[in-house]
Amino acid sequence: MADLKISALHKYYGTMHAVRGIDLEIPAGEFTVLVGQSGCGKSTLLRTIAGLEDIGSGTIAIAGEVVNDLPPRERDIAMVFQNYALYPYMTVYDNIAFGLRARKTPRSEIESKVQAAAKMLAIDHLLDRHPRQLSGGQLQRVAIGRAIVRNARLYLFDEPLSNLDAQLRDEMRGEIKRLHQELGKTMIYVTHDQIEAMTMADRIVLMREGRIEQQGAPLDLYERPATKYVAGFLGSPAMNFIPAQLVADGGGLALRLADNTRLALPAQRAARYATQRDRAVTLGVRPEHIGRARAGDTRAGLARCAADIDLVQPTGSRTYGTFRLGGQEVIAELQAHDVPKVHERVELAIDMNRALLIDPQTEAVL
Amino acid sequence: MTRDRQFQTTLIAPSIFVLLLIGVFPLVYLLVVSFQGITMTANDTSFHGLRNFAQLMQDTRAWESLLHTLVFTGVALPLELVLGLLMAQLFIDHLPGRPVFVALLVLPVVVSPIVSGATWSLMFDNRFGPINQVIGWLAGREVTLLWTIQPNLVYPAILVAEVWQWTPFMFLLLLAALSAVDKSQLEAAAIDGAGYWRTFFRIVLPAIWPVMAVAILIRGLDLFRLFDIVWALTKGGPGTTTETLSIFTYVKGFQQFETSYTAAVALLIIFALSVAVTLALRRVQLSR
Amino acid sequence: MKVQHRRQVTQAARLAGAVLLTVGFLFPIYWLFMMSFKTADEIYAYPPVWWPSGLQLGNYVVLFKDGDARAVWNSLVVSSLSTLAAMFLGTICAYSLARFKTGGDHLANWIISQRMVPPIAVVFPIFLLYVWFHWVDTYFGLILLYTAFNLPYVIWMMRGYILDIPIALEQAALVDGYTRWQVLWKVVFPMCRAGLFATAVFTFVFAWNDFIFALVLTRTEVTTYTVQVTHYFGGQSNFWAKISAMSVLGTVPIFIVVGFMQRYLVRGISLGAVKG
Repeated sequence: MADLKISALHKYYGTMHAVRGIDLEIPAGEFTVLVGQSGCGKSTLLRTIAGLEDIGSGTIAIAGEVVNDLPPRERDIAMVFQNYALYPYMTVYDNIAFGLRARKTPRSEIESKVQAAAKMLAIDHLLDRHPRQLSGGQLQRVAIGRAIVRNARLYLFDEPLSNLDAQLRDEMRGEIKRLHQELGKTMIYVTHDQIEAMTMADRIVLMREGRIEQQGAPLDLYERPATKYVAGFLGSPAMNFIPAQLVADGGGLALRLADNTRLALPAQRAARYATQRDRAVTLGVRPEHIGRARAGDTRAGLARCAADIDLVQPTGSRTYGTFRLGGQEVIAELQAHDVPKVHERVELAIDMNRALLIDPQTEAVL
Repeated sequence: MTRDRQFQTTLIAPSIFVLLLIGVFPLVYLLVVSFQGITMTANDTSFHGLRNFAQLMQDTRAWESLLHTLVFTGVALPLELVLGLLMAQLFIDHLPGRPVFVALLVLPVVVSPIVSGATWSLMFDNRFGPINQVIGWLAGREVTLLWTIQPNLVYPAILVAEVWQWTPFMFLLLLAALSAVDKSQLEAAAIDGAGYWRTFFRIVLPAIWPVMAVAILIRGLDLFRLFDIVWALTKGGPGTTTETLSIFTYVKGFQQFETSYTAAVALLIIFALSVAVTLALRRVQLSR
Repeated sequence: MKVQHRRQVTQAARLAGAVLLTVGFLFPIYWLFMMSFKTADEIYAYPPVWWPSGLQLGNYVVLFKDGDARAVWNSLVVSSLSTLAAMFLGTICAYSLARFKTGGDHLANWIISQRMVPPIAVVFPIFLLYVWFHWVDTYFGLILLYTAFNLPYVIWMMRGYILDIPIALEQAALVDGYTRWQVLWKVVFPMCRAGLFATAVFTFVFAWNDFIFALVLTRTEVTTYTVQVTHYFGGQSNFWAKISAMSVLGTVPIFIVVGFMQRYLVRGISLGAVKG
């Protein structure tokens, strides 16, 4: 088990600046997820940690030891690949045992370790098969088995679930998380899927264009995003963004939208933004914080508005209604059985306690 | 459906006709004539039983030519394979201008084997060829090695010409096969801790084996039929030292006009090759 | 940074190796070409001259004057016509095998086995057959032979190329009202144009470079350049000038033509086993 420290890491592909000055400290035993859109540099970062790619400048240290110049085999790491990268001409047993054999482990030890790993992943009945005889989920387990059998100090996962269908992915997510709980190793996991990130990570590192946009515990990033990008990336359906202006409203502040709808800010928040009156902002509010207004619900901070529902999307557990507000399409989350008709006028309540105010130019959350 | 049948027949009929004419007739002829007694002097078409075949079994010259052929095959094929593999390894990682190198290295393959033999005759010429000149520089004195005449030099000379011409063939095929190896498997092996040789033998070699097998099959067949290069360099000489099976057959048929005997030889060659190829194909599974 | 540095050094070493290899393999070809431009003095100079004084074409002129260059013309005629014939017959046959699986595996296997037949074994009976038909030393005879011997290769390769074309295109054309023949001409042939060219080139090269059949089946009229070259090998001495000039004449067309087919080189010479 080891900690990882990356300082001022830069990587270039020719003239393309793929990784732009990353500083990252991951304590031992933590499950860290590198998440971001395609091309943000997360896979590149992972591969430099593995030693599969050279770095331009900066240092990578595992357990205090600088590993910049070490080839992959000397870094004591294990990796699970997106396309499994299993050896097609060997049995499952040989695949898992390959790394142990390469390090001249005695045969009895190999036998016990492979059996233990296989049992942990419920593939011990497949040890005699060849990769071409296995399904996607089984292949992924074998790939994971190959990684854990060597008891390395750092585990790297490069989008391992991308090639699986949705149901299998759900299953494997839980398996990997359980694995981490059992083994307690330091694990770095790359994905573009924010659900994977949210459900599996101890810490999320959200990357964008080669830089770290924000890092922290999943719920921290979810509830207290630093930028509009982070706010819009996590959460499905995504957060709604509506241009607005902070205006005086009675004794406090309100947000005036393009269609002149006024949404009052609750008192505590109004106090914080008192000096920002007349400023243009972007209002960010998640679908789960917009619901049908219920009579008698007098919680402070609920702003009411009426809207025509344009689109209704029931998912079974809840229903999403799309309506127009402030000139934008906004999604609200309604109860599962609350399926309004299209064009039906609905009273909505927006929880302004949870809404975000974002600077339109810098896109930072105020 | 019958219209489709007609269509199919029209498509394949001309090809099959030509193939039958040039392909089947000779076989039938060989079959018939090999059991007869036609020689240069006698036109004896009576049934001679297996006499020609028995004679062939006793013919030392025939067996020697087979030996020569096997020697050429046994030496050239592994050499070409290993050299081709080494060359492919040299080129497999990124190299500036690789397409140019490959295009140039392929030229020996497309030259006619006769021209290849003629070229190396030039190179090996005892007075005017650069080979002797360079050896002379290295040895410090004049050398006049008679590469195409001295019995202990003719084999190296022929092998040099043959390996020169066909190593690029192996190189080209193996380079393509190496390029197709899944890179993530190599990366996984690197992370697992496998060294160069373990990775090569356990992962790379099994992955390129299908292509290697085809290459060996094609070259092996061609080497067994070796004629042009040897003819251009030594004509099978001196005497019959470098006479391959094909040259032996040619001499028997077109210089000595031993028709029936030649037919027996030809038939056996076809039979032996068919058996060998069928066995090999069964293992390699060529027809998709 | 050490790892990167090491990689650059090995790349430089490999580049040097590549250059050395290429020079080594091309040197004999260089020698052949260079020899053909030498004067008689230079050819028989001792020690051997590595660089001729000038690119003088005397040797080539002699070939043309003596009419020997006709051999190149013969090669051209025979190879081109046999290639055309083999390509046409072979491709339509290949289409039938590819789309209708005509004759199943047996036919396909029989056809490819024809390619494996050693020429030396069949050249004698074919020679006798040709004598009987009066086809020896005729253009027709040699063209027919090369067509027959290249058919298996053409059928095998074109079958592969046709199988690579999605069948949906032909089905759409059939639905649109084309006849099967029209589908062949208007859809299939254009789609596998690249494969057609590549296979034609290699078929041409096989015919062009052949020796044994040309040796046996021609006398004076239809001598191809490969046979012509061997005429210059004497018992006592070799006419190096003529050998090299004729060889160059016969080799340059192939270099040019194969140069255009670089993309399909691997697939063509490996009988389609490697897609390159």
